[in-house]
Amino acid sequence: MRAFGNRPFVISLASAVLLFLYAPLIVIVIFSFNDSDYTGLPFNGVTLRWYAELLSDSKILGSIWNSVYVGLGVVVLSVTFGLPAAIALERYEFPGKGLFRRIVMLPIVLPGIITGVALLSFYLTLHLRLSLHTIMLGQGTALMCITITEVFARLQQMGKSQSEAAVNLGANEWEVFRHVTLPGIKSSLFGAMLIAFSISFDEIAVTFLLTGRENTLPMTLWSLLRREVTPEVNAASTLIIAVSVILIVIGMYASRGKGAAGNGAH
Amino acid sequence: MTQATLTGAGAAPGLVLRSARRIERRRMLMWLIPPIAWFTVFMLVPYGLLFYYSLGHAEDMRFVPGLSLANFVKVFTAEPYLGVILKSARIGLMTAVFSAIIAWPLAFALAFHTRSAATKFAIYLMVIVPWWASYLVKAYAWKTILGTNGILNATLQGLGLTNEPVRLFLYNEFSVVLTLTYIFTPFAVLSIYAQLERVPTSMIEAAKNLGAGGWEIFRRIVLPISIPGVIAGGVITFSLAFGDFVAPVLVGGSDSLMISNIVINLLGVAFDWPMAAAIGLVIITLGLGLISLTGWLEEKTQVRL
Repeated sequence: MRAFGNRPFVISLASAVLLFLYAPLIVIVIFSFNDSDYTGLPFNGVTLRWYAELLSDSKILGSIWNSVYVGLGVVVLSVTFGLPAAIALERYEFPGKGLFRRIVMLPIVLPGIITGVALLSFYLTLHLRLSLHTIMLGQGTALMCITITEVFARLQQMGKSQSEAAVNLGANEWEVFRHVTLPGIKSSLFGAMLIAFSISFDEIAVTFLLTGRENTLPMTLWSLLRREVTPEVNAASTLIIAVSVILIVIGMYASRGKGAAGNGAH
Repeated sequence: MTQATLTGAGAAPGLVLRSARRIERRRMLMWLIPPIAWFTVFMLVPYGLLFYYSLGHAEDMRFVPGLSLANFVKVFTAEPYLGVILKSARIGLMTAVFSAIIAWPLAFALAFHTRSAATKFAIYLMVIVPWWASYLVKAYAWKTILGTNGILNATLQGLGLTNEPVRLFLYNEFSVVLTLTYIFTPFAVLSIYAQLERVPTSMIEAAKNLGAGGWEIFRRIVLPISIPGVIAGGVITFSLAFGDFVAPVLVGGSDSLMISNIVINLLGVAFDWPMAAAIGLVIITLGLGLISLTGWLEEKTQVRL
């Protein structure tokens, strides 16, 4: 038996923590249906008014598309540059490797605003106009370490024997990558892409300073929240929670299924 | 080289080795050059520019280049910079400690008290969902709960515990720390769980067979093994809370501005780029130090299993 300790005590503590995690979300969902002009008690009855208003708000709908566009760009960037970085870090020893690793990890511990300030001064020096693309480049830089660490961890698990065998059988670099490395890291790469997309979709700290005329969804919500709190925000939040739940469940099942299949093959 | 040409192809191991090394080197560069180019252009060059800006000063909202370390001196001596950095660090630290404490029981239940794989997966999902739910939404949720018209006040008044709404809940450091703790607890659960999952069942069974009680197993096996997970999660939580600017604006009071808010104000209101750049560089340096410290700490506390 793995379990030890007083089970009822452990379970009730854990349930209390889960309650703490879910209560605020449930409050938001409930108030998104409240037929009242402000968020708070009393509960006046159920309405779908806020959803209707939300879906006719062209500003919010436009910013959703902007967020999707930025997120897809960030995924492409972090795979294009993060995947080679993970392979290089796992396979080779080179001078300055420790420093390279630290610099790659730096955006994780750095406040997003600082990454934003650095990139903004870069853009302004080059006279680049702020746009969705400047956001994309900023988030790509900040989120690249996710792809790198996820893929790096999987490469380490895989070991070198398969790719060495392929090289001995005469495979060239591209063939090794295409037929050995890529199938091995596929599920963790997919997971990293999903994570990068969802963080990007929710990102506000790096985006804040790099945003031009077009806004992403969190930036639009942020300006709504700062001005006045309308129940429309609750409706938007509920939809965001619902979409992220769906994406997570898909992602988890996909990576679990593939993980299990991978374990069976070994 | 000359020897190889003299003795022919059959006896040229040195040459083969050297060209193999050259091919290996070329392959390494093929993988390495794109990311190095990326990080050079989008991190090192911007950091260099920050340094250039930090040495100058702002005059009439315009940047004047210079070669002075005055801005760095100001970060450590003038108000409010050092004070706000320390306050942000304090809020970050409290957030990291509280979310680790709250997260631990759930991580423990997940690793030790789930009876089937399906239950484990379901609870794991239940931890992930609030982690990925929108950051802004989570901060805003606490505003609606703690506010004067909020759920908490309505409940307290409904129960007859107070006559007027309690204003103490919102717009102070307490609400900032509570909100940030709420936001980062799921992450702490995941990182502590990842570490607890490594504890071999056989080790727990052996301890039981030797007569150890639950408390003793907890104190001498499970808690020490969980430490690297607590540290790994804590460092990320600390850093994200330290740099947060959403919670101070949404649920914080006039005196709970954190360092990111100060930087935003320097850029947007005061147009003091050089000062913002100097603060940025100080924090970048602290960040690099933190990464090194964490690597060392995790190495030190990691238990070989």
